[in-house]
Amino acid sequence: MGRALPRPGTGARRLIVQLLGALSARLDGISGSIGRAAAWLAIPIIAIVIVDVVTRRFLTIGSVTLQELEWHLHAVLFLFCAAYAYIDDAHVRVDIFRARLGAIPRAWIELIGAALFLTPYSIVMVYLGTQFVVDSYLLNEVSDAPGGLPYRYVIKSALPIGFMLLALQGLSTVAKQILIIRGEEEKGGDDVR
Amino acid sequence: MYVEEVLALTMFLALALLLFSGYPVAFVLPGVALGFGAIGMMLGHFSAIEYYNIVLRAWGGAASNLLLVAVPMFIYMGIMLERSGVAENLLSTMQILLGRVRGGLAMAVTVMGTILAASTGIIGASVVMMGILALSPMLKRGYQIELSVGTIAASATLGILIPPSIMLVIMGDLLSISVGDLFLGAVFPGLLLSGLYILYIGILSYARPELAPLMPKEELQIPLGTLVRQVVRTLLPPLFLIVIVLGSIFLGWATPTEAAGVGAFGSVLLAWFNRRLNRETVVDVTHRTAKITAMVFMIVVGATAFSYVFRSLGGEDVIERALLGLPFGSWGILFVLMGVVFLLGFFFDWIEITLIVLPVFGPIVGKLDFGPMFATVGDQTLWFAMLVAINLQTSFLTPPFGFALFYLKGVSPPNVRLDHLYRGIIPFVVLQLIGLAIVILFPELVTWFPKMALGRG
Repeated sequence: MGRALPRPGTGARRLIVQLLGALSARLDGISGSIGRAAAWLAIPIIAIVIVDVVTRRFLTIGSVTLQELEWHLHAVLFLFCAAYAYIDDAHVRVDIFRARLGAIPRAWIELIGAALFLTPYSIVMVYLGTQFVVDSYLLNEVSDAPGGLPYRYVIKSALPIGFMLLALQGLSTVAKQILIIRGEEEKGGDDVR
Repeated sequence: MYVEEVLALTMFLALALLLFSGYPVAFVLPGVALGFGAIGMMLGHFSAIEYYNIVLRAWGGAASNLLLVAVPMFIYMGIMLERSGVAENLLSTMQILLGRVRGGLAMAVTVMGTILAASTGIIGASVVMMGILALSPMLKRGYQIELSVGTIAASATLGILIPPSIMLVIMGDLLSISVGDLFLGAVFPGLLLSGLYILYIGILSYARPELAPLMPKEELQIPLGTLVRQVVRTLLPPLFLIVIVLGSIFLGWATPTEAAGVGAFGSVLLAWFNRRLNRETVVDVTHRTAKITAMVFMIVVGATAFSYVFRSLGGEDVIERALLGLPFGSWGILFVLMGVVFLLGFFFDWIEITLIVLPVFGPIVGKLDFGPMFATVGDQTLWFAMLVAINLQTSFLTPPFGFALFYLKGVSPPNVRLDHLYRGIIPFVVLQLIGLAIVILFPELVTWFPKMALGRG
């Protein structure tokens, strides 16, 4: 793809650069806002645990309901924050060699990783996850515990949604790395994502 | 060997190599899984339908798993504690308390690391925090650079071992043993290690006083009343929090998840008590918790995908047969397993090692026979988990790639060189190995406390 883009300064090249930049900024914006919002689910989880622990001895709100609510919220939290964590480079890396590379080789690694690992994986998970939700819906699946929550397909849909965000994040990453490799973006070093 | 077995081993090798690219572990794992699943399909050893099982397992293992809700709660607690000012206060108080002892400041750092181990094994965070807080006071007082950095790195990594620790939660989940037992079982090994550090610091600073100068007298001239008040104000709240979290598990009042929620709530109260609770802190703690939680659980999901395909291709059988076929007996195999974990620890973080290796090693350990040392297989697994935990903590410290060393280097003044870190950490690695040997020889250190606590003795 090295020579595919028109020469610097031409209108077409400007347009592509702007498009890629706008695309990745828009996608980052979406994942970022959803992630930052979902992050707050930690607070209700803490509150529910406290309510469960305190009231169990005296009342019978039903621990089962509360405990299912805990993992429901937790599932949404980590699935919706996965893409956001990628934007902020919070995913663990084996950094021994990468730390010694310059901005361009790093951008290549990120580009190949996003194109070969992250995006295909996310798309497969979206596809199979949707299947998973549809199965649950058709079965009219509810919690198998007495007092459990109904409409299991609602919580299960967090899985394909979370991976959809990750797939879009893969696209955004590819766009960003192309800009870096083509020298259109000055940002380098630790900000390469 | 069959074709699919060669494929499985190639898969493991490919994972190891590709991880070194530096692309996030959480996505390399499932990427390799999908790729080798596809190759398996072409060769007729895998079918596309099996991918769907990955979704089922990821959902069952990571999402609809009440136990693992403890993980974000403990992360929240750890980060909130870090922001609550507890650490600074602890260090200044311990410093005064231990000021009259040779090596007192280094001992204070060890005690601080032990207490702050509640900061739950986000190794990077605790090493950075302790490095920032403790390194410059130690150097200013004329402590030898090697001793200072060694003490800080070793003490700060105790967090993954001393409960509550998210590593132990995940280990319990993977090995199907009680997290409560693991927490209680880790108490004495953890205290043993920090005791060994303090003993070493004491002996070293007595033998070579120039390495650890005493504190100036005037800094210790504090009225007793003030001192008592300071101790009560700074030491009691975090201790109280730890006692609540561990005590409620100890007494069987709360599950680990509940204890974690209570601990998270307690850490918020503690920050409020120290007047550190404001909007900015809450936003920061919430965002960081979410990112670390997402990171951990995406690796859990990715490792589920990897393990599933690996097992489906027969990889686990190959490894199990190879290991159990070794002519060393149970002890020999145990040492091989420990050696493998130790070597992997040079390069990889505990998350990858526990999630990839424990599911393979766990069943093997269940088949080993150490004679009458253990009453039940459960005890044996508990002991093994603790050995792996100590081993992994050590792996953070071992040059050349110990993570703790890099994190500490990152917050050190320029006159602290990497070779200071390497030389400083070696005595502590030796202490770790001594501790590991003691726990290997005396499994009661691990198994006695949970039994006693839960009245199963």
